[in-house]
Amino acid sequence: MKKKIAATLLIHLMAWVIALIWIVPFLGVFMAAIRPMGEIIRGWWRVDPFTPTFQNFTAAWNHAAAPLAEGMLNSLRVAIPATIVPILVAAIAAYGFSRFRFPLKNYLFIAIVILMTIPQQMIAIPIFRIMNDIGLLNTHAGLILVHAAWGIPWILFFMRNFFTTLPIEVEEAARIDGASDFNIFFRIVLPMSIPALISAVVLQFMWVWNDFFLALILIFSPDKMLATQRIPLLRGVFHVDWGVLAAGTILVMIVPILVFALLQRYYIKGMIGWASK
Amino acid sequence: MAEVKLEKITKKFGDFVAVDAIDLKVEDGAFTVLVGPSGCGKTTTLRMIAGLEEATDGEIRIGERVVNQVPPKDRDIAMVFQNYALYPHMDVYNNMAFGLKLRKMPKAEIGRRVNEVADLLGITEKLKSKPRELSGGQRQRVAVGRAIVRDPKVFLFDEPLSNLDAKLRVQMRTELEQLHHKLKTTTVYVTHDQVEAMTLGSKIAVMKDGVIHQYDSPQSTYDHPANRFVAGFIGSPAMNFLQARANSENGRINLVGKEFRLDIPNPQEMDIQGEVVLGIRPENFSGPVSDGENLVEAKVLVTEPLGNALLVYADCGGEQIVANLDPHQTVEIDSTIKLVVDINTVHLFDRGSENTIL
Repeated sequence: MKKKIAATLLIHLMAWVIALIWIVPFLGVFMAAIRPMGEIIRGWWRVDPFTPTFQNFTAAWNHAAAPLAEGMLNSLRVAIPATIVPILVAAIAAYGFSRFRFPLKNYLFIAIVILMTIPQQMIAIPIFRIMNDIGLLNTHAGLILVHAAWGIPWILFFMRNFFTTLPIEVEEAARIDGASDFNIFFRIVLPMSIPALISAVVLQFMWVWNDFFLALILIFSPDKMLATQRIPLLRGVFHVDWGVLAAGTILVMIVPILVFALLQRYYIKGMIGWASK
Repeated sequence: MAEVKLEKITKKFGDFVAVDAIDLKVEDGAFTVLVGPSGCGKTTTLRMIAGLEEATDGEIRIGERVVNQVPPKDRDIAMVFQNYALYPHMDVYNNMAFGLKLRKMPKAEIGRRVNEVADLLGITEKLKSKPRELSGGQRQRVAVGRAIVRDPKVFLFDEPLSNLDAKLRVQMRTELEQLHHKLKTTTVYVTHDQVEAMTLGSKIAVMKDGVIHQYDSPQSTYDHPANRFVAGFIGSPAMNFLQARANSENGRINLVGKEFRLDIPNPQEMDIQGEVVLGIRPENFSGPVSDGENLVEAKVLVTEPLGNALLVYADCGGEQIVANLDPHQTVEIDSTIKLVVDINTVHLFDRGSENTIL
């Protein structure tokens, strides 16, 4: 009995320590963001004096060299189509892989899974050259295209696995009812797959929004830069402006956190409530 | 309305023959049940009629038309699935209306039909509900409604009652019977439950290993099974089988087994000699008695009083038998009893081919 209590205590203690270690940097960023430079220069953990202010946020939002307002708009311009396009394309392809018979199907699928293991750094130079050749370098369209292509394999894999769990009788019933393949997919299968689609939306959107690497390679005009590219530019020239930097980080973080918070409830609810048997 | 005719229909999955050159004719307006153990090919046969599975060989006709190459939607059939297969994201109304909408039927006509069928099935209050809000029986009604509303030539049912609990199953069975009586649509119904087959079918096809062993009316199948498999499959509790040695002479057949000696009539004077399998239905035993003719002796293993019957499981010379006896008596476990056999109802099967001899 004693042993059990000790073990529980130990586990709790470890959980708290890990949680604290995880939360401290975030707390630091938050404390730095809401206070003037003078207060945080000797360490954000000194709380005397403590003067909450929004000035860092407005400074980051309207920054002279890299205004975050423009950056977040650019990020949305990229992230929204780079989420919708691959999900639509991959869902259609995944349905084909899960329900139709065609030559070399399994080999193709394995090829797609293998492609998922390629690290992004390996494709940096080829992607740059291809985009340059087709004139899409330094355009949002080019970045959307690359993100879509990068997202398709995992979304395909994910959606195909989901589709195989759907009861095929529902699709057969629709076929007998007179639905074409097209109708079955768009009017029966996709609505039944909303929980999976939302999961894919959340993950792909966060991936694209948080991406720094591909944007760094493909986008270099200051006015086209995405939010993530602008954060390092908020640092300042003669000294590191920690407050503005922290505020910018929080602003950029807010979007994926909101997306996750809003949709997470929906897809968890969907996962539980959707199954009909 | 149309008849369904299968000629030499075969379905192979790779090397496995699921359905082996079967012939089946379902008359216009008939209720035919395909029954058999799992893996016998009954569902595959149904799916070939539906067009969800392509026949490897043979010809399928619905009405006058050969439909082998006709897609399911143009076969004018409707199917009810075991797991209902309702569209989970649509309410009951739209589940039923979906097929009509795809056929570009005018909205007013769709509304009229759906309401009429909902009324017929007693699900009018549920028209706005999603399938997940319905009970099993209600879902089943919606699935049936979705089939009826299209007014097809043929209904196909794939074990529609096996997901329901026992009480509801009996109730839905009666409803399906009434429905068929009202609509008189040609129906092919697949089940592994022989009680369902007997009660619903105007004719039943007993299948095993991709072959139809007998296609006949329920009573005729029960009274005159074509072989030992059919005899054992139809009827509950199942027919008892005992090894016996036959010797026919003077219009009688003498059957001798380990614990019995029967003398049964042989009006057609068939020449039956040697080793046979004797089949006796549980209700064709009576007794127990202390003495008499045509007795089977057995040691009681278990008794099951059902109220309207007393099932006695007993060991008869190493073979287990079950007898359906008058419930108003007690039979002691472990006692040795003598049961009278109704000699006019016994069956004889060939030991090798298992075909019916008598």
